[in-house]
Amino acid sequence: MTVLATSSSAAGRAPALKAIWRQTGFAPILFIILLAINIFINPARFAPSAWGTLIGLAAPLIGAAIASAPAILGGRGGIDISVGPIMGFVNAIVVLVLIQKLGLTSPWIVVGAAVAIGGLVGVLNGFLATILRIQPIVATLGTYLLLVGTTLTILPAPTGTVPVWLKALGGPLSILPLGAVFLIWFGIRRLPYYDHLMAVGSDDRAAYTAGIPVTLVRFLSYVITGVFAGVAGLMMTALIGSADPSIGPTYTLIAISAVALGGVSLAGGRGGLIGAAIGAIDIFLLQSALTYFNFSTFVLQIAYGSILVIAIVLTALQDRWLGRSREAR
Amino acid sequence: MSDSPITLSARGLSLKRGAAPFDQDIRRGEIVGLAGLDGHGQDAFMETLAGLRAPVTGSVTAPLAKGGERAITSFRRAVQSGIAYLPRDRRATGIFPSMSILDNFAIATVGRDRRLGLISPAERRKRYDYYRERLSIVAPEPGRNLITTLSGGNQQKVLLARALAHKPDVLLLNDPTRGVDIATRRVLYSVFRELANEGMALVVLSTEIEEALVLCDRILVFREQELAAPLEGVARSSERIIATMFGRAA
Repeated sequence: MTVLATSSSAAGRAPALKAIWRQTGFAPILFIILLAINIFINPARFAPSAWGTLIGLAAPLIGAAIASAPAILGGRGGIDISVGPIMGFVNAIVVLVLIQKLGLTSPWIVVGAAVAIGGLVGVLNGFLATILRIQPIVATLGTYLLLVGTTLTILPAPTGTVPVWLKALGGPLSILPLGAVFLIWFGIRRLPYYDHLMAVGSDDRAAYTAGIPVTLVRFLSYVITGVFAGVAGLMMTALIGSADPSIGPTYTLIAISAVALGGVSLAGGRGGLIGAAIGAIDIFLLQSALTYFNFSTFVLQIAYGSILVIAIVLTALQDRWLGRSREAR
Repeated sequence: MSDSPITLSARGLSLKRGAAPFDQDIRRGEIVGLAGLDGHGQDAFMETLAGLRAPVTGSVTAPLAKGGERAITSFRRAVQSGIAYLPRDRRATGIFPSMSILDNFAIATVGRDRRLGLISPAERRKRYDYYRERLSIVAPEPGRNLITTLSGGNQQKVLLARALAHKPDVLLLNDPTRGVDIATRRVLYSVFRELANEGMALVVLSTEIEEALVLCDRILVFREQELAAPLEGVARSSERIIATMFGRAA
């Protein structure tokens, strides 16, 4: 508890830090602790010369977490659980159809196709969840199954290779796709759309009487999620360097854990993509430390679960606590 | 007053199947009060004017600047036609509890804070400061503090500023002084009168007869989803309104 006490007094001095803390919860503190442990036990892996590979390893999870966030921010149960399958589908189409069958290896075509596939699935999800008004978890479960099935049909077993430039995006240049996603998001944050999204997530009835096009705002949040998931699929392709139908779908749940860990409220209207990214990095670091000690993947899952529950309880406590200090002032 | 141009008109409007239809014109610069026992149609009438509820028969139209008129069939249409609405239930349909005072003010008109396509915080602050002065909003550090840190009266002023930021021709106020202290009420009344003098039309639904008498030029009393009586000038008296509300001819 001493860690918390000192950080809160520091936050009191710097309002900007306090705002970040309120937005991301305990993920940054966990990040520092886990990073220190990792550097201590495995300095070679965390040396600056290895950063490219390291970020490449973490990128698909970070990308999946960032992709999951916009739909969740839109509120009223908004969630997209088809993020993982979109990544797997993009992986299969890019490697198997574009690169292997059609021989199209130009970055413009590959990146364009990944974004377009993600965006189209996002449009479908948005249509189901906001226009037909099927509950988002059910609607995106439908697309989840659809995409997993389609991916397995066209790609029953792992196969294929990727061009050199794509391989480089999983290694030395791994910061590029992540950086691009963040730049796009910072752009969106400065548009009226971002304010509308947060307002809709905060309270959709009030948003409606304030004249905000609630349905359109939520619809677009699914499209953004889809596009980001498409880019995350590309990051995954760069990392594994082939087409593999079984890896993509595993990202969905772990990405949602990362988002929750990063202080994004699953009720919407609270949190941001930075928090989601930090949550994802936390999970990656935990994974990396536990694998170093040769723990089995089952223990890994127990650890994810425990950290997630503890972090969410602490965030709830922090909320109550900040609320109280505000009243006292 | 009756020769000012019409800004909103209801034709053959009925609020319930089988209720007698009525016509009403709202003119520039007047303050129209809506009164009646709770649930007797004044709420429905206001929501119909705002496009939030479809009329059973008849229509609501707003004249266009270039001539002709436009039917108000949805809330979006109403906003586009220069109609602003201040909802009744501040907590459920007004404020965004998790957002700052400044963002709560700007949310309905964020497009106006743009410079070169991007949101400019300075521009937003400038817009807010104009209304803060005008409505004498008391709110320290509006960019950082949440709206829930304010008193009910100041929250209501922020919501009024949000509606005024549309620069509307018609302002629909659904019980604007509910849960608001006396001092703030006086400020609001004088702001309403100023707005009317500047040519805005105001429709005020009030649950207090005294308020309607003090504020309004014309009072429409509703009973059983029908317009029971439009009271004007000397006819506006507390006894007359109460008698009409209860359906006793006075």
